[in-house]
Order: sequence, then C-alpha cells, then structure tokens
Amino acid sequence: MSIEIRNINKQFGSFTALKDINLKISTGELVALLGPSGSGKTTLLRIIAGLEVANQGCILFNGEDATSRNVQQRHVGFVFQHYALFRHMTVSENIAFGLKVRPRHTRPSAKEIQAKVQQLLDLIKLEGLANRYPTQLSGGQRQRVALARALAVEPQVLLLDEPFGALDAKVRKELRRWLRRLHDELHVTSVFVTHDQEEALDVADRIVILNDGQIEQMGTPEEVYEHPKSSFVYDFLGNVNLFHGRIHQGRVSIGSIELDVPEYADAVDKQAVSYVRPYNIEIEREAQGQEFIPARILFIRSVGPIVHLELKREDTGDLVEAELSKERYQALQLKAGENVFVKPKDLKIFIHEDYCI
Amino acid sequence: MSDHIALRPGAAPVTNTVATTEPPLIRWLLIGIALGFLGLMLIVPLIAVFTKALEAGMALYLRAILDPAALAAVRLTLLTVAVAIPLNTIFGLAAAWAIAKFEFKGKNLLITLIDLPFAVSPVIAGLIFVSLFGVKGLLGPWLAAQGLKIIFAPPGIILATVFVTFPFVARELIPLMHSLGTVEEEAALILGASGWKTFWHITLPNIKWGLLYGVILTSARAAGEFGAVSVVSGHIRGLTNTLPLHVEILYNEYQFVAAFAVASLLTLMAVITLVAKSIVEWKVQQQLEEAQKK
Repeated sequence: MSIEIRNINKQFGSFTALKDINLKISTGELVALLGPSGSGKTTLLRIIAGLEVANQGCILFNGEDATSRNVQQRHVGFVFQHYALFRHMTVSENIAFGLKVRPRHTRPSAKEIQAKVQQLLDLIKLEGLANRYPTQLSGGQRQRVALARALAVEPQVLLLDEPFGALDAKVRKELRRWLRRLHDELHVTSVFVTHDQEEALDVADRIVILNDGQIEQMGTPEEVYEHPKSSFVYDFLGNVNLFHGRIHQGRVSIGSIELDVPEYADAVDKQAVSYVRPYNIEIEREAQGQEFIPARILFIRSVGPIVHLELKREDTGDLVEAELSKERYQALQLKAGENVFVKPKDLKIFIHEDYCI
Repeated sequence: MSDHIALRPGAAPVTNTVATTEPPLIRWLLIGIALGFLGLMLIVPLIAVFTKALEAGMALYLRAILDPAALAAVRLTLLTVAVAIPLNTIFGLAAAWAIAKFEFKGKNLLITLIDLPFAVSPVIAGLIFVSLFGVKGLLGPWLAAQGLKIIFAPPGIILATVFVTFPFVARELIPLMHSLGTVEEEAALILGASGWKTFWHITLPNIKWGLLYGVILTSARAAGEFGAVSVVSGHIRGLTNTLPLHVEILYNEYQFVAAFAVASLLTLMAVITLVAKSIVEWKVQQQLEEAQKK
C-alpha cells in the first residue's frame, strides 16, 4: 500500500511540531524518518497511524483519503518505542490479540489463530517462549514480540517508532539487519522513526531527514550522504569538521586555502562554512603547498583499523578531527603533541546568511 | 472507625545496611514504642469488644444480634454498602480515567473536589443533605409534594454514605493509571480493538487490584460511617438505623452487652476487610513496582 502525506501541519498549543509536510511512500518501500529529538518525526508517524490528528492536511492510503479514518479503520501495524506489550498476557496471547478482538463475523477460528501465532513465533524465533510474560523477556525478545503482534493482523503498512532505541548496540545491529531481511520477505510498506543516522543509512531504502518540523531532504542513503542539500543534513549524517571562510564570486577562501565553487558564482562577499568529514583530512609532516594548515596533535586513539586524531589548528585554535588508516598512521609515526600540517579535501560549502556560533 | 485514608503503597523499600542503620538499642526502642502503642490502642480494645460482647454468655449475645432491630440495621447497612460500591466504582473509574489520561481545563479543580469529602467533617456532609432535601431544605417542599422522602429515610443514608466514600476508588486509581500510561491502550486500538474491548481486555486487567483495593476501602467506610449518617437518619429503630447507629442507641439505653455484641459484628467486618485489604495492597504494590520497572 502506498502512503501519501499532503500538507500536514500540526501544532501542540503554540508549538509547531510539523510544517507543510509532503511525502510519498510507494508500496513495499522501507523509509526511515530521521531527525534529532523534537524534529517531529514521531508526531508524523503517529499522524500516519491515526493516533494523532493533524491540524491541516491529509493522508492518503493507496490514493484514497484516509484522514478521517480512525485508528482501528486504518489497519496499520505499529511497533512502539518501548514495545507496549500487554503485561498481563503471555507472548502468544499478545500476538493473538489483534485477531481475537475482531468482530465475530471477521474473526478467524481459534484453530486458525493458533496456527497464525505459531507461524509468527517461528518467524521471530521465539517458539519456546510462547507462554512467557513480557517481563520475563529480554529487550530484543520483547521487540520481536511487538513486531509479531503488529504483523499478526496482516497490516499493509508497518510503522515503527524508534524500534531499536532501547536496545544495546550489538542487539540493535542484529535486529535491524533482521528487520531488513524480514522486510525483503514480506514487502510490507514500512516507515520507521530513528535518531540514529547509522541505523537509517544501514536499513532504509529511502531516508527522510526532518528538522524543526520540516523535511530537510529525502533520498536514498547514498544521495543524502553524498549530496547533502543543507549544512544540517551534512552535519547530522556523520562527524564533521567546520572551516569558516568567505565566499566571493564563485571563489571561497578559507584561511590560506582558495577554491573554486562554481555553484556560488553570484555570491558577493558572504560568510561561508565548509564541512569536511574526518576521513577527508590529509595529514603530512611537511607542508606541501599553500593549502596545508599547521596544527598540533592533541590526542590519538588507535584502537581498531581506523586511527582517530584530534588536532588543534595553530592559526585559529579551532579543533579538527581526522581519521587515518592504520598503515598511513604507522608510516607517519605520529605522536600526541607533535606539530603537523593538515589539508581538508572534498569540502562541502554552504552559505550562511545569518550564521552565528 | 475513623478516616481510612489510604497509605500510599509504593514507598521506597527499607534498605537495611549496617552503615545506615541505627544502633540496636534505638532500633528496639522504636519498635517497642510502635508495638506497645499498637497493642494498647488497638489490640486491647479489640479484645475488649469481644470479651465484653460475650461476657454474659452466648445466648444473650445471639439474642442481641438476632433482635429484629439489629437485623434491620444489618440489612440497611448492607444495602448502603451495596449501593455505594457500584456508584463510587463507576464514578472513581471515570474520574481516574479522565484525570490520568486526558488533559483538560479544570483538572486540578476536579482533583481538589474529589478530596472534599476527606476534608469536611462527616457531620457537615450530613447537614448538606439536610439543607438540600430536608423539610425546610431547598428541594424539601417539592419532594414532599411528590411524596418522596429522602431525609430520615434510607435514600438519605445512602446519599450521605456515597458522598463520604466517593474519593476512595478515584484516589486509588489515579496514581496507578498515571504510572501505567496510555500506550497499551493505543496498541490495542491500533490492533483493531474497539474502545469497549480495549477497556475490558487491557485497562481493567491492569487496574483490577487497585480497583479492588479502592472498593474494599469504600465498603469498610460505608459500613462504618457514623457522623454523616447520624445527621440524616433520624434514628428510627428498625427503619433508618445502620449498624453504627444501632450500637449507639443500645449504648445510650445502657444495654451494654447488646451494644458490644452488635459492635463485635461491625468489628468482625472490619477485621475481614483489613485482611482482604492487606492481600490486595500487597498485589497493588507488586503491580506498581512492575509498572515502574518498564
């Protein structure tokens, strides 16, 4: 089932949670709503589910207006952030609930319900725990039960609110891969909310980045990561270094570095901020040209294949984060406290009219 | 029986580590004072009631209890309890639901008003009803014209009792429902359950122990209420006397054995309620802890 969100606006009192949200999700897609806390992503998910009512705009399921349908009529599956399992019911009772509460004429027989529960228990690999209560399960197991419970009613849309937020790092990684495989099997249109960019980049077909109740950018993980439209997106999708400079008629100067930026050809003496990912910081012992900036190594963390360095620019005193491969690090024989030269590569430049830090 | 204000279950558990505990002497002194006071003020009187009641032998005891006026008092008391419980259960559920799960204007006022019966003396509660429904009350003449009698009749007694006992269920449920939140209900609705099914299958099982606790407190208070009922009753023997009023009348007539016999009935009811209360309290405590763990 496809979902279309048109001009959704939502206010809580004087606080605007969502502003003019327009979004199309096609059938079978797995979409991540990514944003910092307070960006409105959960509100949007709850509006799609019918748990929250928008002040303006409409929601279309398969091209049909579903705005006025109530929660029960929307037939969506929803997985809550803290699972919301029914604490007085066993795992199998939890999974069967959605089928058992159907009106008599659409309710499957007890046998069919039993078979469905069994099938879902197989799917979530918790066959042996059917008679446990939620409090007797680990976080990851509860999460899977919550998912099975949502899938039991065979929804055409699956909505997940921070599905892995409350789990520890290892379980989280396992579960999200499992969710991805499950999605590839079932092909249910799925939307999940997360504040974890890694999770979104890892799992989703498409990422919608929200900030302050507005969509900043949407696209495939590659698109948003490689071609961020705004400084917010660039910043949010990974560690970055900031270099302040000025831009004038298509040429940006950042300290001693000068670069061509044809996309800002008509900018006249504007403040510019350039972003560089830590792995795009080149480190040399000697300056090999104008573009090298003197810096001092403050701190080195060399655990694992990537070596993380923290440096302080000698000219401005700003901190710079860099990442080197182990080989490069060993070849340079760097030590904390040493003076080196850094060169930012692959800068992303954004003009900030009213930039202030 | 004095005010049965619920001690909040959910207080922090006592941790007994050597570093933070008092020296043995002080500990035993405190425990001794508490137990001594309890014995003197509660246990001894309790025993006294029963010994006094049985002092003149079983035959007299039974005669006092099986006296038609006493039986009428038992019936009226049970009727009062039977009406007060469902009314206050429904009211308590509605109020607790509204307060714990919705945001609306006047919520604080509602919370304050629920406590009103605790704050005013029961005698005043009785007087309120007399001033409303009495012969010279606001609605008195109209009621008299319809041939309806509320004051000095069972309806007045029931009204006064309902008024005095209405905070118990609500007070018990509000914190419980607060800690449970609405997320399980939301999950049930999304799975297609109707509002009624959600209440029946999700909300009610989650609050049943708290609800039962509130009901027990309500019934204990409803059976034992004296002040408010005394004002509206008129003390018509065999007609408008509840058990506590009957005890008072017997006592004032110097029928001490009979007074204590009937009092022992009330006491027995109280003891049974107390045991039931402790069991339920323990259950509620468990549930609150579980809710907080989540």
